[in-house]
Amino acid sequence: MQLTRRSVVTAMAASTALPAQSPKGPVIDAHNHLNYHTRATWADDDRKLIEAADKLGIEQLCCSILPPERPTTIEGFRNCNRWLAEAIKRFPGRVLGYCFVNPGYGQAALDEVRRYVEEHGFIGIKLYNDYKVTDPVVAPVLELAAKMRIPILQHAGHTTWLPSPQPNISDAGDLAKAAKRFPETMLICAHICGGGDWEWSIKALRDSPSVSFDTSGSNADEGTVELAVKTLGADRVLFACDLSMTASVGRLRGAQISESDRRKVFGENMQRILARRKA
Amino acid sequence: MIDVNAYLGHFAFRRLRNNTANGLLRLMDQKRIEKAVVSSAAAITYRNAQAGNEEIVAETKGKQDRLLPFAVLNPAYSDWQHDLRVCQEEFGMRGVRLYPNWHGYKLSDGVSLEFVQAAAARRMVVSIPFRVEDRRQQSWLVDVPDVRLADAIALARAVPEAQFIFGNGSGFAGSVLPANCYVEISLLTAMISNEIGQLLQKIGEDRVLYGSGMPFHYADGAMLKLEVLDGAPAMKDKIARGNARRLLRL
Repeated sequence: MQLTRRSVVTAMAASTALPAQSPKGPVIDAHNHLNYHTRATWADDDRKLIEAADKLGIEQLCCSILPPERPTTIEGFRNCNRWLAEAIKRFPGRVLGYCFVNPGYGQAALDEVRRYVEEHGFIGIKLYNDYKVTDPVVAPVLELAAKMRIPILQHAGHTTWLPSPQPNISDAGDLAKAAKRFPETMLICAHICGGGDWEWSIKALRDSPSVSFDTSGSNADEGTVELAVKTLGADRVLFACDLSMTASVGRLRGAQISESDRRKVFGENMQRILARRKA
Repeated sequence: MIDVNAYLGHFAFRRLRNNTANGLLRLMDQKRIEKAVVSSAAAITYRNAQAGNEEIVAETKGKQDRLLPFAVLNPAYSDWQHDLRVCQEEFGMRGVRLYPNWHGYKLSDGVSLEFVQAAAARRMVVSIPFRVEDRRQQSWLVDVPDVRLADAIALARAVPEAQFIFGNGSGFAGSVLPANCYVEISLLTAMISNEIGQLLQKIGEDRVLYGSGMPFHYADGAMLKLEVLDGAPAMKDKIARGNARRLLRL
């Protein structure tokens, strides 16, 4: 059954009567993904994501597309950004774009960012695990983001002992280091709930006021949002799903935080970040 | 609603909130959850799990109309036959949870078969949480992989008279589950890949159960899965409580 956002929010409110239903402010998913077009079902999967957002009352999704191969080639990230620009037109008003680049391509990566932000209205930069955020190769991207007043969403995770299948993955401690060197750059540390030891990661960012943390991920642990709000302040926590839709909305609905903090996390904070570019 | 996947007590590697009987009942009231199957979180890392069962039965005293205690037992530990009898006959426990990878045995071991046969003879439900924590965040002290679905299925096939709950896991829709297996939804997707929908198509609506993993997990994620799931209210009611009522003989 295809439902409108309004009817679903109403139905949800009438169903199991949770204390926190739909927030009274904007709902912006700060971290999600559309699909690379070599995936046979990409169009259908993109549509399913938007339908899921409809059902859950998510108004806008800040998305990137990532290629399947590593390290990311220049053709790979150009495809991603071209297809994302098309998707933004296909889902008007719903999808906001992060320009994905491999910083190892130097000037070409910077040109790609400029082009997609200035000509296609992308709202930020997505960095994955081609380089750690502290690598000198990434510095020009961090500087450009500060100049353009756009955020960088940095893939991140911290496992205490498990050998990482991603040797160049950044963790929250790396983001804290990068933030010290580039305090004017707005950084978003990806997925509190999809990046290993979330308590370690939140604590690692306590003294990094320019770094926000997104709440996405499949890990359903109770207390994640509360610890993030308590440690970082509600202004630095961003609602996000990263494809884990019900777990991510559920943790925000269930979190024992004030309603004004919930509104900030659900969308007001991301709205503020987006407004910086416009200003 | 009846939540078949809840816990009380402390867990060794992370602070839990709402983990006392009163705390969990308050949370259940907020979420309108009528009853919850609870077991000891501490017993997951106790050597002698029966000590955790004693704690749980004391904690739920006078509250067992809503908090339905399950045992945690280790078939590889001495004297489990006595403990199983006490849990069922004296503590009134309707089922037992197994943690083979935390307790150092395999579901394919002979002791597991013997244990499940004994539990089935007592009409106790056998619950297998496939994980306790996301492995990416486990403490440096432990290296505990998820339970292998193939091992759990083999055990269920070997003891068809036993009733199993497979929970805290995913990937169930990709396998052929024997008719004595129920699946709890807390870590299944309800959208995009929609594993719950696939599972319902495969095993029908009578063997899918609501569970959240609270207080390890937020209760709301699993509730939301049920809310957004496509299907008739009668089907959702079975998942939310009807199937659990039948399985637990409530």
